[in-house]
Amino acid sequence: MTQIIKTEWLKIKNYPAFWWVFGITALTYPGVNYLFLYVYYDITKQHSTAGQVLKVLMGNPFALPEGWRTMAFFSSFFIYIPSIVVIMLITNEYTYKTNRQNIIDGWSRKNFMTAKLIDVLLLAAIVTVLYAVVAFTIGLTNSEGATGGKWTLSYYIGLFFLQTFSQLSIAFTVGMLVRKAFIALAVFTFYSIIVEPIAVNVLKYRYKSEAGRFFPMEISDRLLTKPVFLGKIDETAYQHSIEAVKYHVAYSICLVLLTWAFCFWLNNKRDL
Amino acid sequence: MNSVLTLNKITKFYGKIQALKDVSFNVPEGSVFGILGPNGSGKTTLLSIILDVLKANNGKFLWFGHPGSPDQRKKIGSLLETPNFYHYLSGINNLRITQSISGRGTAADIDEVLKKVRLYERRKSRFSTFSLGMKQRLAIAAALLGDPKVLVLDEPTNGLDPVGIAEIRQLIIELRNSGHTIIMASHLLDEVEKVCTHAAILRTGTLLTTGEVEEILVDDDVVELSAADLNALANLLQQLSKNVVIDNKLNTVHVIFPKGQARLDEINSFCFKNGIVLNHLTLKKKRLEARFFELTNN
Repeated sequence: MTQIIKTEWLKIKNYPAFWWVFGITALTYPGVNYLFLYVYYDITKQHSTAGQVLKVLMGNPFALPEGWRTMAFFSSFFIYIPSIVVIMLITNEYTYKTNRQNIIDGWSRKNFMTAKLIDVLLLAAIVTVLYAVVAFTIGLTNSEGATGGKWTLSYYIGLFFLQTFSQLSIAFTVGMLVRKAFIALAVFTFYSIIVEPIAVNVLKYRYKSEAGRFFPMEISDRLLTKPVFLGKIDETAYQHSIEAVKYHVAYSICLVLLTWAFCFWLNNKRDL
Repeated sequence: MNSVLTLNKITKFYGKIQALKDVSFNVPEGSVFGILGPNGSGKTTLLSIILDVLKANNGKFLWFGHPGSPDQRKKIGSLLETPNFYHYLSGINNLRITQSISGRGTAADIDEVLKKVRLYERRKSRFSTFSLGMKQRLAIAAALLGDPKVLVLDEPTNGLDPVGIAEIRQLIIELRNSGHTIIMASHLLDEVEKVCTHAAILRTGTLLTTGEVEEILVDDDVVELSAADLNALANLLQQLSKNVVIDNKLNTVHVIFPKGQARLDEINSFCFKNGIVLNHLTLKKKRLEARFFELTNN
């Protein structure tokens, strides 16, 4: 295992494109949450009636413990940035044919996939740490007058990790199937942003079906519920979505296991 | 002699196209074994199978008497098809990855193989800046790392300049002399003739013949003769062999005998007794190229 991690590190440590995208990822998570924070302050500082009503309705979504949920939700919009890293890491191997060279040099096909699994796990962990640090920092500095234990909703760290890992695993699978970086990125983005949301909503509103919640991205999207102030639009539905989280934890774990079982199987079966 | 590699009825399909048909042969220890064949004959497919990059549809192969495994591949230095390296990494960092995966060699060995292939001065340059010949030399350096006793080289002189080709051929001969086993695919006949001790010839996935190079590629004796009257000479020689050809350009007659059966003293005496005085008599081996074309029907 140490040898696999060392080899992956040798591949990454002098890869400029990786560090550029990684840097962008590291800036995105604090950036986007601070952006939403300033928008919130900008709206609620207004002395107009509308501003004051909004302040009462929203409360302070960035104060802990609610901040864990709010910032997990906002941060999850940017899964596409770490997914670029994941797609790069796998498609590079096909572009340079180094996937076959790694096998020729003495890795088993299982070793190769284990290396990639570790890459995706580590990236998901790093992104989760980023989210946790940002949420804690912003939450701590905006919790004046807040009630409740600061760590009450910190289990969102685990949910965020599961969602990130699940969705990066799907990005990895797309990269593995498509093999070309730009096409894989286009397919992943187009599916995630266009195809699946449309399909889920068509099923929901046109056919009154909840089957959309079993779509690959939607399964883990439902791990991170909306901030409470957005839930006030339809409180029954919101409560229902919170209760469904525990089921989606199980579904997401199953999906992750299936995804990687498929990737290992495919890599083992096909010619390199 | 022990077998380093044993192939038993290896068969491979790409869809409906059969790339290899029941290919079987042994690679003796200490040999330089050439896999020879025209483009598309299945050489690279065969090497890819023994290196576990491709899966055979049927048949087995054994390395040192055991089924192929990652641990065995770690002990084999390989260059398959094109040099496969991370384009954004330097030559030396690419070899560090080879070293990390295979466990072959040390940091000092990496420097040594880079010097051996004349890339040491460019070791810190990115692979993407290398010329085709430099990429090929880096791939050879990777194969040589840690001095593996068995090497698999697919078209090792591809992309090299004449000096580079001569250097690599010399290197292969040196490796052979120091007891290494080298399995080498090539479509270059003179390369096989110059460096290989054994060969297998493939045509469209079928093994045509295998054995020692001397036996399979050079099998006929060609006697070249000349006299004042070429037609009279040719007519006389037809009593000795059915394969008699007059070469009017060179003013010679060529007579083909089965390998090892041409006796120049007897031919000279036979001609003299029949009233023809020879002014030229020499024994030539049938050209490798002619033999190869004969075998592959090209």
